[in-house]
Amino acid sequence: MNDIASAKILEYKGKTLNFTPEDPTEAKIPSDELHEHLQKPSTARTKRLKERCRWKHASAGEFIEKNVTAGIERMRYLTEAHKASEGQPEAIRRALGLANVLNKSTLVLQEDEFIVGYHAEDPNMFPLYPELSHMAVQDYLMSDYSPQPADEAAAINAYWKPHSLQSKCQPYFDPADLGRMYQVSSMEAPSFASGYNSIVPPYETVLEDGLLARIKLAEKHIAEAQADMTTFPWNGTKGLDNIAKIDNWKAMVIACKAVISWARRHARLARIVAENFETDPKRQAELLEIADICHRIPAEPCKGLKDAMQAKFFTFLICHAIERYASGYAQKEDTLLWPYYKASVIDKKFQPMDHMGAVELVEMERLKISEHGAGKSRAYREIFPGSNDLFILTVGGTNAKGEDACNDMTDAILEAAKRIRTAEPSIVFRYSKKNRDKTLRWVFECVRDGLGYPSIKHDEIGTEQMKEYAKFSLNGNGATDEEAHNWVNVLCMSPGIHGRRKTQKTRSEGGGSIFPAKLLEISLNDGYDWSYADMQLGPKTGQLASLKTFEDVWEAFRKQYQYAINLCISTKDVSRYFEQRFLQMPFVSAIDDGCMEFGMDANALSEQPNGWHNPITTIVAANSLVAIKKLVFDEKKYTLDQLSQALKANWEGFEEMRVDFKRAPKWGNDDDYADAIITRFYEEIIGGEMRKITNYSGGPVMPTGQAVGLYMEVGSRTGPTPDGRFGGEAADDGGISPYMGTDKKGPTAVLRSVSKVQKNQKGNLLNQRLSVPIMRSKHGFEIWNSYMKTWHDLNIDHVQFNVVSTDEMRAAQREPEKHHDLIVRVSGYSARFVDIPTYGQNTIIARQEQDFSASDLEFLNVEI
Amino acid sequence: METTTCRQCANFFPLPKDADDYEAGKADCVREKEDEKGKYWLSKPIFENSTRCEAFHTKR
Repeated sequence: MNDIASAKILEYKGKTLNFTPEDPTEAKIPSDELHEHLQKPSTARTKRLKERCRWKHASAGEFIEKNVTAGIERMRYLTEAHKASEGQPEAIRRALGLANVLNKSTLVLQEDEFIVGYHAEDPNMFPLYPELSHMAVQDYLMSDYSPQPADEAAAINAYWKPHSLQSKCQPYFDPADLGRMYQVSSMEAPSFASGYNSIVPPYETVLEDGLLARIKLAEKHIAEAQADMTTFPWNGTKGLDNIAKIDNWKAMVIACKAVISWARRHARLARIVAENFETDPKRQAELLEIADICHRIPAEPCKGLKDAMQAKFFTFLICHAIERYASGYAQKEDTLLWPYYKASVIDKKFQPMDHMGAVELVEMERLKISEHGAGKSRAYREIFPGSNDLFILTVGGTNAKGEDACNDMTDAILEAAKRIRTAEPSIVFRYSKKNRDKTLRWVFECVRDGLGYPSIKHDEIGTEQMKEYAKFSLNGNGATDEEAHNWVNVLCMSPGIHGRRKTQKTRSEGGGSIFPAKLLEISLNDGYDWSYADMQLGPKTGQLASLKTFEDVWEAFRKQYQYAINLCISTKDVSRYFEQRFLQMPFVSAIDDGCMEFGMDANALSEQPNGWHNPITTIVAANSLVAIKKLVFDEKKYTLDQLSQALKANWEGFEEMRVDFKRAPKWGNDDDYADAIITRFYEEIIGGEMRKITNYSGGPVMPTGQAVGLYMEVGSRTGPTPDGRFGGEAADDGGISPYMGTDKKGPTAVLRSVSKVQKNQKGNLLNQRLSVPIMRSKHGFEIWNSYMKTWHDLNIDHVQFNVVSTDEMRAAQREPEKHHDLIVRVSGYSARFVDIPTYGQNTIIARQEQDFSASDLEFLNVEI
Repeated sequence: METTTCRQCANFFPLPKDADDYEAGKADCVREKEDEKGKYWLSKPIFENSTRCEAFHTKR
């Protein structure tokens, strides 16, 4: 164990750089407990809320805290309404289902909290979604987390089986193809079976207009449509369109009224507790303030920051957890809240407070999200080890005029994240050279405190991407050049529009994964998976003996990839077809200006295409291709047959050969040989083949390479690979991250390699681990700032950082009970280190910790 | 013997007539709970003639 003061010394440009801590008081903190000294909740209340937070994290598929279970109320009341509404239009049935859940479900109000609302009948529970995935519910019924009474839950699930999205979509596919998808080794299972979903809710309309105004709009449209149907001369080719529109608008009205009523039930609850249970006068007054807020909003427009935070949270609960499940927390939070911050903090016109009041509010929001449980299946709990779900918001970047979009709300969001230290929600920062220094410093403070976020995205790349997709808009109403600046990450990595319309509403537009490492493995075996499922996993693309040249191997992979990506996207589009007919979202539709204008369901209307799919494990495949080309076809040191024998023996008895393949050039070292092959792989196949596909929205589908926890899950299902990896070992931890421990030429060599991939990509996740002493030194900000400028100039899409020492991670493995505040970046999300299974912890320890040499600092042009 | 109903329970809070979800006899059943993480309150719609539940305690 070292202390932080024992950092290295570096000679640079004639100066001796000493990396002692910027804060001298840190010098005496042992390096293996640093993270336990960094939290500084802004108030005693947020400190208490964190201490009693009802985390819903899962590890290896199991919930970590006791008493966490599935609730039954949502599924009960949804089913009751579905049975009672048979024969009515489907959009209206969906609205009645939502209304029944909101009217009858139990509300929760917790001690100390100011932002209220929950999505299940008890704060230790979470809801289930049998209409989305009966298999996921079945998974719960067979576990200790089963909703109770279990018999009732089982009956509800049986009822939904024939009505589910899965049952509607499956008949259109060959069972053999679906059987391959269900292996989750070369492709993610189809979304119509998993129920996994994501959305960017148009929060803006709720905060700006209020729901009463949305109801009036819908009622006006209904009246106009009805009038149109009586206008002479009747034209059946257009007049009949009014029927579906009227149904959708009526459904919107039902949904909005139900949400207002539900919010006002919260108001009554707060008032009843204030007047009948609470004895502290200060808390009584606060509860009455909560009652006032929940009575006014989201019915009316928000007037202050407390209003906006509460309206946003109610909207989140409906869009992500009650109307339909969706992962994520996509929003441009600083832009969204800025008018209300200004009203409350600067102008003090409504709900007056100081800046630290805003920080406390954000800390409370972060803790609410930390308590949010998601009813995901065991498989989806396993692929996000250490988390409860993906919650990712976006800040920074540029506004519609192309100016710096950072404001004091941006700083409040970042300061709160640094102070309260929770793994979620994660933050994306859109980096532009126009961003103000003050905010960049807050970004750095979070990064160097080891939060693993903000994850950084290139502002201009995202904006240009929105413009490009807009060209494919089917109704000619894609994002304008100004609106193209209004983007957020939909989940971990992929940009999508935020705002009053044109946002992504379902994961069938973009999302889902494909796994190149497994595809490469079966490309060497005529499409057969010998190492995991023992089945034909893809088309027959040739026995090993038929692969005479490297191009033969390349083309075999291309065919496997074409087959898999085609199946992935067609299953999503078939899901979309049925989503808009049986899984309408009347509330989401009501708050989208486009759906309101056209009388369309949110699943159906697509104004801004945003097709993407996530290649995960690409670098294992790419490094393998490099090794094959070098050792088999260029140097002819081994034959493909010998390689196949070694792989099928999991390298046992072939150690010398394995070392040769392990030592072949690897991605991330600015190696021209490796980088040329790998760049071609990304641009010609991973992106080039994918973008040939056109999805429901009329645009191309582009790769967004990332990993989440799937690099572990799929790694365990992938046999030994020609990059020298043993079967079952984890794969690469990001869309374009070097394989763990193989990027040995320093941080700038990684940047140079990654910058070579430019064509046909939507996004690519880059995980980097930086030296703790350097980042915490007085030179830390200058070095990081220079790194970011270089990263920007190299036109790289993304980067995220771990700033955590091996000492501290090892100490946490030894004594987890002493390291609850140690947070690490897994991939696309952060987690408390002690909540991650040991297998996953070891993959993070194994990542290359990047020091900065003098030549790195020169490349970055660091001025010290 | 008269059946005890929710109306006689201390957790029974009738809805105001101007409530969006007002129905004659409808009320909020608000119960205080506590576990190792702290206190919380649950609110569930109820009707005055519903039969008492295990959490019933008489209004004082």
